[in-house]
Amino acid sequence: MASVAGNTATGPPSRARRWASGFRERETWTAYLFILPWVIGFLALTAGPMVASLYFSFTDYGVEQIAGFEPTSRVGLDNYRELLSDPKIATSLQNTFVYTLMTVPAKMAVALGLALILARLAFAAGFFRTVFYLPDITPPVAIGILLLVLFNGSVGVVNRALGFIGIPGPFWTTDPAWIKPSLAIMSVWTVGGTMVIYLAALKAVPAHLYEAAAIDGAGPWRRFVNITLPMISPALFFTFIVLTIAGLQTFTEVYTAYFGAGSTGAEAPDAALMNVVYLFRQAFEFFNMGFASAMAWLLFALIMVVTGAQFLFSRRFVFYQGEK
Amino acid sequence: MVKRWSKTALVVAGSVVCMVAAGSASAKPDELAGYTATQATTLEIYGLGGRDDVAQGRLDIANKVMRDLGVTVNNPVSGFNNQAFLARLAARDIPDLVHMGRGDIGTYAARNALVPLGNCLNAEKIDRKAYRQAALAEVTYKGQLYGLPEFTNQITIIVNNDALAKAGVNTADIQTTNWKRLKQANKKLLKVENGRLTRIGFDPKIPEFFPLWVKWFGKDLISKDGLKAQLNSREAVAALAYTVGLINDHGGWNKFKAFRDTWDFFGRNNQVAADQVGAWPMESFYYQVLADGNKVNFTAKYFTNRKGGPLTMLSGNAWAIPRGSKNPGLACKYIKALQSVDSWRTVAKSRFDLRKRQGRAFTGLYTANTQADVKIYEDIYQPIGNKDFDDAVALLVRAPRYAFAVPLSPASTEFKLAWTDAINRVLEGRQTPRQALDQAQREAQAAIDKAK
Amino acid sequence: MSAGAPDNLPTAGAGVVSPRIPHGLLGRLLARGRGEGPRFSRLKSLPFVLLLTGISVLAVYPFLWLISASLKPQGDVFDNKLIPDQWAWNYTGDPSPVGGDERLFALPDLPVLTWVWNSVWIGLLAALLVAFSSAIVAFAFSYFRFPGRNALFALILATMMLPGAVTMIPVYLIWNEITKLTAESGSLSFLPDIGVNTQYPLWVPNLFGSAFYIFLLRQFFLGIPRDLFEAARIDGDGYFSMFRRIALPLAKPALIVVVIFELQAKWFDLLGPLIYLRDTALFTLPLGLKTILDQQGAGGGGEGRWEIIMAGTVVTVLPMVILFAVFQRFFIEGIATQGRKG
Repeated sequence: MASVAGNTATGPPSRARRWASGFRERETWTAYLFILPWVIGFLALTAGPMVASLYFSFTDYGVEQIAGFEPTSRVGLDNYRELLSDPKIATSLQNTFVYTLMTVPAKMAVALGLALILARLAFAAGFFRTVFYLPDITPPVAIGILLLVLFNGSVGVVNRALGFIGIPGPFWTTDPAWIKPSLAIMSVWTVGGTMVIYLAALKAVPAHLYEAAAIDGAGPWRRFVNITLPMISPALFFTFIVLTIAGLQTFTEVYTAYFGAGSTGAEAPDAALMNVVYLFRQAFEFFNMGFASAMAWLLFALIMVVTGAQFLFSRRFVFYQGEK
Repeated sequence: MVKRWSKTALVVAGSVVCMVAAGSASAKPDELAGYTATQATTLEIYGLGGRDDVAQGRLDIANKVMRDLGVTVNNPVSGFNNQAFLARLAARDIPDLVHMGRGDIGTYAARNALVPLGNCLNAEKIDRKAYRQAALAEVTYKGQLYGLPEFTNQITIIVNNDALAKAGVNTADIQTTNWKRLKQANKKLLKVENGRLTRIGFDPKIPEFFPLWVKWFGKDLISKDGLKAQLNSREAVAALAYTVGLINDHGGWNKFKAFRDTWDFFGRNNQVAADQVGAWPMESFYYQVLADGNKVNFTAKYFTNRKGGPLTMLSGNAWAIPRGSKNPGLACKYIKALQSVDSWRTVAKSRFDLRKRQGRAFTGLYTANTQADVKIYEDIYQPIGNKDFDDAVALLVRAPRYAFAVPLSPASTEFKLAWTDAINRVLEGRQTPRQALDQAQREAQAAIDKAK
Repeated sequence: MSAGAPDNLPTAGAGVVSPRIPHGLLGRLLARGRGEGPRFSRLKSLPFVLLLTGISVLAVYPFLWLISASLKPQGDVFDNKLIPDQWAWNYTGDPSPVGGDERLFALPDLPVLTWVWNSVWIGLLAALLVAFSSAIVAFAFSYFRFPGRNALFALILATMMLPGAVTMIPVYLIWNEITKLTAESGSLSFLPDIGVNTQYPLWVPNLFGSAFYIFLLRQFFLGIPRDLFEAARIDGDGYFSMFRRIALPLAKPALIVVVIFELQAKWFDLLGPLIYLRDTALFTLPLGLKTILDQQGAGGGGEGRWEIIMAGTVVTVLPMVILFAVFQRFFIEGIATQGRKG
């Protein structure tokens, strides 16, 4: 990373001119040739589509318009107004946030707990790491299916096990109050990746810090709070952001279990309607592209706000080595 | 270091958004160039999924008609799916002929995506009067016919005699005229063992058959012209409260559904053979599942209205021609070949022979074409000597006389979604029947107003 | 099993240059992997090992349940026994004509074997393409100093945070336009069909690199001593041959990580195929499995053939488990490296 730091650092007063003169170098053109694939991809698959998406969000673009049966007309803020009036938008946002709030802290806590133990184990640590990582390589569609069979209220093995210890299990997959918790539990099952990240961060904490603390007479709790947590805080912060963004865009597991061509209306419960699922249905099951584009921008804005808040939050709690 | 990167990244992301916002005015989807029709020698068909002997037999007949005209037929096995059909419309990869649920016709007709079949009927001399009125009502929008209905799937009640005997319930108690008596029978029939539901008493089959329960009062969910939803009528609320009550007698919707989800619905060990249900209303095709499964003792009965008169609801698929079909003329010929009385007769005969060879009951074919039904019953059907099945067939043949269908609306897909969602909310215990249907009424009417 | 010493890594660039060079991030990570921080004694470890063994059961049980359920006859799936009372082979073979005896690879109208093959080739092609295209871009960002570099790199980082949902619709509409152009009546009808309902939209975007992989590979390239490149320059190598002969071979571990990640991403992807594919013959496994669930599951008025659904799930899960068994190190190190980007 050193070379980048050298580059982004201060420049002499004639910075702009030097910047422009760079284009006289052959190396510059070669560099741009090398990054051309990304530039094309960015323009065609990211920037261009974003512009288009914003435009569509102010139109009534639907299947009649795409097919050319009817002309496209601008509808001003109608789609955005509909965001406010469609009760399913509020439901889907609430579901998504509740689900994210359930999964992210639970996943982080479980992963950290496992990583703390694994990092200190004298033997079998590698074996357990493999075992705990295994659920993380399960395709999300398979997770959605496993959810349906393991959590079935009357014959599922989860309730059988709960019944064994005297707890009457809830109807996870049909009771609206238990749909999101069961999804969250399946999500915590795939905690392996997060755990591996913490494990790597824990192993990177220099031993001498612990030795010094031990000499100072710090107990395990104080060592954890004063050394371990600050030293792995970048990893915690990273997973916090990544898991949050992923949680806010949950789709495959939920769609597999509760939506799709097989659902006749007796399925597709409101309690499982996530933001991206509703976006997908509006866009591709009903082809309301204008409205769906407005939904996409709402989602984008929300993710930006949440991530921004997390960055602000991190400024106080995340400790980067080498910074003052 | 890392922080600086992330800050820069945020700034750049922000400026991209601004750029995008500024540049948006210039983006315009290009207008579609005129669509030129090409001389089609292939007939593209879409929407027919899993095919049994009857479907394949009719396709063979119609394919032969096309072959004689020098036309090849492309008809991949794939059930109709809104997403796929819309995607094909959007890409102007439009099939010449589609097979779709009658409940979806209204939405596409109102979206201008189907052509009216008036010309087709005239050109091919297809007799509109031969078709059952209730089935035609499902595919008629603003006075125009947009699809030709296929089967009728009339609903009758299947009573599991063994379950009734075990529970000490009389067959006469399984009826829908007297709701109080039915409720008592339901409570007696359902079985809970060690806190687990092991037999459903009387399954009212909601949300699917909700319109039937409302029709008990003589009421419809929507006005005849399909433009006024009447989902929150006093009668609809009462029907919903009653049917939800039948389910709640089992210990609630969750128990009920979780149990029902594990049934082998179409298999040999189906819910009647496995003694998992006492009685329930079901479509006509189900009798063949019973005939194919393990041995059962059952009675078929009419669903009756409040005055005791028989009542049944029709539903099913229809053939329609999308706007943009490259050869509507050929598509119409194909429909005619599929749906003619002769075709129905031929395939019914082969099914009858097949069933006979297998030593299984032929439980009839029930089409939207009255003439075909008469032919099938009079020329082909023979009692097989199993009283349960023979009685059932006799009942099914008469049933369409007492039929109704939910009138079609310009937002038929959304309309159905509104009331099924409402019923689910009540089943889940989140709303009272009144609240749920009030909300459904608002949603449905808004969708209809937007679409008409 | 645990993170090994760096010399266990596939020797990067063997035969091209000296094998003993630092392996960028992966190497650094491995180097400091062991022996730091306080550890339990063997004795004190024991109770924790017991605890983790208990948790392992939770992690592994669903797999065992799944495999066992796929080997049961219809109706026994929910008996929740790990050893079936009665065994049934639900995968291959000729089913008898009567319903209730379907086999996964002989389902009517559902070509499961074709789906496996589609998933394999699309995954491999997409992974190799994205590894190569990302490597070129990453190399440029690590080796060259050119005006606009930092701004562009920040832009790449920014796109990593962009939710896919924002571009999903317009990108689909682009492919929709391409569909019309390459159709029989379109102005580009001489081209093959490459739009909606073909598999192109699933892998063509991989030609243009991917932000996260570019980031990952750039970090790796930065760990390669510049002297190696300068020496090659003096030997008269052009920029591209430098990339091909030095950077690529040295980055092998990181490239393997990228290939594995992308392979996994494609193997997992339901949304893409769901949006673009209609014909069952084109499906990849996730969409195929979802179709089996919809047709055979109880939800869609299906038949509740859970043993077939379970067999399909096993076929979807198992290849990833095998891939993981073979390339475990790269999975784990790749994930761990991800955390370092924070």
